[in-house]
Amino acid sequence: MSGDVLQKIRETNFFKELSPDASAAVAAKAAMRKFAPGEFMMRKGDPADSCFVILEGHLKVVTNDAKGDEIIINKVGPGESIGELALVDERPRSAGVIALEDVEALELTKDAFFELLDQRVDVSLGVMRGFSHRLRFSTTYIEKVIDWSQKTAEGDYSFLEQTQPIKNTAGSDDDKAAQLLSAFYSMVRKVKAREEDLKQTVERLSFEIDQERRKREFEEITGTEFYNKLKQQAKELRQKRMGQS
Amino acid sequence: MAGKIVSIHSFRGGTGKSNVTANLAAQVAMTGMRVGVVDTDIQSPGIHVLFGLDEQKMGKTLNDYLHGKAAIREVGFSVGENTGEGEGRAQLAGRNIFLFPSSIRGAEISQILQEGIDFNRLNEGLQTAVAEFDLDYLFIDTHPGLNEETLLSIATSDVLLIILRPDNQDLQGTAVTVDVARSLDVPNLFLLVNKALPKYNNFEVIKSDIGAKFDAAVTSVLPLSFDMAENASNDLFSLRFPDHEWSKALKSIVPFILNAK
Repeated sequence: MSGDVLQKIRETNFFKELSPDASAAVAAKAAMRKFAPGEFMMRKGDPADSCFVILEGHLKVVTNDAKGDEIIINKVGPGESIGELALVDERPRSAGVIALEDVEALELTKDAFFELLDQRVDVSLGVMRGFSHRLRFSTTYIEKVIDWSQKTAEGDYSFLEQTQPIKNTAGSDDDKAAQLLSAFYSMVRKVKAREEDLKQTVERLSFEIDQERRKREFEEITGTEFYNKLKQQAKELRQKRMGQS
Repeated sequence: MAGKIVSIHSFRGGTGKSNVTANLAAQVAMTGMRVGVVDTDIQSPGIHVLFGLDEQKMGKTLNDYLHGKAAIREVGFSVGENTGEGEGRAQLAGRNIFLFPSSIRGAEISQILQEGIDFNRLNEGLQTAVAEFDLDYLFIDTHPGLNEETLLSIATSDVLLIILRPDNQDLQGTAVTVDVARSLDVPNLFLLVNKALPKYNNFEVIKSDIGAKFDAAVTSVLPLSFDMAENASNDLFSLRFPDHEWSKALKSIVPFILNAK
């Protein structure tokens, strides 16, 4: 197995904690598979009996909407693993995966995977570390989203300036937490923009002075005899007080 | 220097005029100035409550003076010597601040409304108050709108502070008041925005836009505050809660008054 293949194995989130030696053990148990464009790597509802590490080419992850039409929920490519969670929890495939181009992937069957876990403590540990890393990662993101939700509810958007948006690298499951954060971030930015628009509307609204009415009311007040007398008196009064000071 | 007459006015009611007047007068008194406060809102007096004055404590009133039953000297109530209950007000102890209250007796209010106010006498009273109490500033809490007694207050003012809320109706009325004040040659015309919504109003934008619209200085923009609404009815809020946002904004008006020519 070439170094390039081992490299790809260790790029996946599932196997990223494995040592080079443990990766080689995984590679040794896996079989090389090729998929032509349009070919299914797995179908929704199938029993989950293997996982894949993609070496070459891209695939789409699809499900069906209520009408039965295909919806693409994700796109995956080299250095990503697919179907590994099902190996552990033994649930049927939750989505279909179809090659978009010529694809090369390593397939590790469930039996081979469990044999490996049984024989090599370092692989077991590596996989566990991967899971715990992922859990920790997701928890951190969830905590962030909770914190940001509270801030947003209070109208405090300061975190938008203090935090860099996470680059949305669609792909592995780990990135889903990042995707959530990124989606949340962009949602808050849009909410803030809408609020600012509204604010400006409120301000603009408050600047509609009816000039005709203003003139008319001014003339009504100042056009009386009382007013003219008052104006004269005020003038005299000021002159008198100026003289005093 | 002759004392200055500072009228606080708003075109519509409910702008928080009495509260602003009382707090501003108190803050100016805290700088060591001799200050008077006249309630010329004879129809619906209210500012006395903020200075801890009730019907029992109230002696002679502006109404007595206007009817020739008392001299203006007898009407002036020394707040500094009678701060009464109220944590905020207590800080005025020893300060020179005098309140000239309007009667809160129904019969006296209706009497003066029926007979009308003798403007010359009111005007004379204001000048006498300034002279006899040796006041640096006499604040007048005016009646909303532009009736004759209010026009008189505006006409005799050295400083006119117009309070408005950031909404269309207040802006429209304020526009007319500004025009009238200019026509009466009031030397210092200032605006004050009250009850702005911190969430929807950008205070700096309001300040510059309204200032530009009327070509007049906007002294401050005060936030709509529930703390203020809850605590302000019987004490001087800005003295009691000096670090509150509302109080800080109010205190920023003081230099405009002290530096008025």
